[in-house]
Amino acid sequence: MREFLLLDVPMLVAALMALLACGTLGNWLVLRKESMTGDAIAHAVLPGLVAGFLVAGRHSLVAMFTGAACAGVAAILLAGWIRRTARLEAGAALGIVFTTFFALGVALLETQGARQIDLDPNCVLFGALETLFYVPPEAGSWIAGVPRPLWTLAAAAAASVTLSLLASKELTALAFDAEHARATGIVPRWLEPALLFTVSMVVVASFEAVGSLLVVALLACPSLIAAPHATRIGPRFAISLGAGAAITVVGHFLAAYAPRALGAHAALNAAGMIALLLAAAVPLSFALRAALNRRQA
Amino acid sequence: MDATEGISRANTVVALTGCALFGAVAGVVGTFVLARRRALLADVAAHASLPGVCLAFLAGEALGLGGRTPWLLLAGGSLSALLATWCVPHLSRLRGVGPDGALAVSLSFFFGLGAVLLSSIQSHESGAQGGLNHLLFGSAAATTRADLLMLAVLALVVLAVVAMLFKELAAIAFDEMHARVLGLPVRRLDLVLLALLVASVVAGMQVAGIVLVVAMIVAPAATARLLPGSLTTVIALAASIGAGCAVCGVLLSLRYESLPTGSAMTLCAGALFMLTTLVLAGRRWRGATPSTPADAAGRAGA
Repeated sequence: MREFLLLDVPMLVAALMALLACGTLGNWLVLRKESMTGDAIAHAVLPGLVAGFLVAGRHSLVAMFTGAACAGVAAILLAGWIRRTARLEAGAALGIVFTTFFALGVALLETQGARQIDLDPNCVLFGALETLFYVPPEAGSWIAGVPRPLWTLAAAAAASVTLSLLASKELTALAFDAEHARATGIVPRWLEPALLFTVSMVVVASFEAVGSLLVVALLACPSLIAAPHATRIGPRFAISLGAGAAITVVGHFLAAYAPRALGAHAALNAAGMIALLLAAAVPLSFALRAALNRRQA
Repeated sequence: MDATEGISRANTVVALTGCALFGAVAGVVGTFVLARRRALLADVAAHASLPGVCLAFLAGEALGLGGRTPWLLLAGGSLSALLATWCVPHLSRLRGVGPDGALAVSLSFFFGLGAVLLSSIQSHESGAQGGLNHLLFGSAAATTRADLLMLAVLALVVLAVVAMLFKELAAIAFDEMHARVLGLPVRRLDLVLLALLVASVVAGMQVAGIVLVVAMIVAPAATARLLPGSLTTVIALAASIGAGCAVCGVLLSLRYESLPTGSAMTLCAGALFMLTTLVLAGRRWRGATPSTPADAAGRAGA
């Protein structure tokens, strides 16, 4: 029981908060057909993050977020400029920009960072959920022992839920008919940049803990799982977050305990397991809908 | 591993030749991939080779061939990459998923599976020395002679196929309507292009790494497209730019030991592309400033 509280609970809370943060915003991205933008941002923020850490040390949240936000915004602007100037399709422009940024981040990390800031490229991809355990402080309140990434994740989740609730009407208009929404002025001009900015913040906060792979899965998959079952925004959010949470919990326990049940010692990568289950749930969800429709008919 | 020790084992000339061949192949195949708007599919294919490679590693261990049998890793990686690219059109046909969502779902599933398998191999005692870690970001220094030989064979096969089917591939890539009117088997040719893409991705896996290999497919081809010339000129340019960037990347990563080869190659290719775009934009700006975007597009098309 003690082991469960100290080891499993912080990991689960971290994964669930990442789901809340990414899953909520992911619904808007998926509706706008921008699932891969999340992937691009998740790669592009790395050099900013590493540079922030190098300048101000591993524990400076301000440096981390400033650096990452600059890199994220720069990448999006650069991709737009390339698309127009080189007349390249959007996917290729994004592809070139985010791989170059990510390569720069990895190069910085490997040549400068590895010793100073303990963050290795493997963690950047696959996360470090396994390191988020609770260490009870010797003195003082229990709060001091909570791993730092949990707080950044909580802030990210709060930001993405707040934005979605406050601007749900405008974001819905933007998601279903962007041209019309822009032309009629229903949507304030700052909203689209604000959405992108929040996505980069949430991606940064999440990826330190869960890795870029799981960030991509959390942005795209929950919303697509809900797609065949809900046509209205409210139910779609509810189903995506509910199903996403259930899958996250299952994935966590499968990664932690399945090898033990088979007699091996080490655990499997939790972020990978959750990502793979979320992705597998998408076609299954569509199949379930088809089966239900057939029974009703 | 020490870079100098690695490179003396697979001597420098061989390593550079192998990488240059890979760069050239990536540039050639990339030109078609780019024209057919499959840049992000190439990214998914590269990431999706990880689970296949891991399974091949485990199979090699189990069969007593040793985990790092090049042809086995190659077969495994190609199979899972092909499977992932096969999934994408099926997923994108589902209502509300679209091409974008399909790519994200396929990427999450296959790369997630790869992460799980990789973690199980790393917890295995022999896995630590297996060198699968290098596959993520690439390492020319850790490549063995067998790897390079395999890379060279693969590169030559891909180039031979492109040379044989040049007209057909160019037709489907640049003018699909025309290809259909001519009665070419568009779907089958599309599969050939996909196979070529997967072959060049897995060929580059060792040196460029799974995560960044897509940059070598897209960036040199995109740079070549910016320069004027016929299709054959563009392809030749893409091949030489790819080879040049690959060689620069290898040299940089040998000079700065801890710099992964994949990152170095990607930085070279990306920087060259952005520089070319900048020069182009500067020239266009210095010329008569176009009054409308349509005007600008028209002038560029001419």
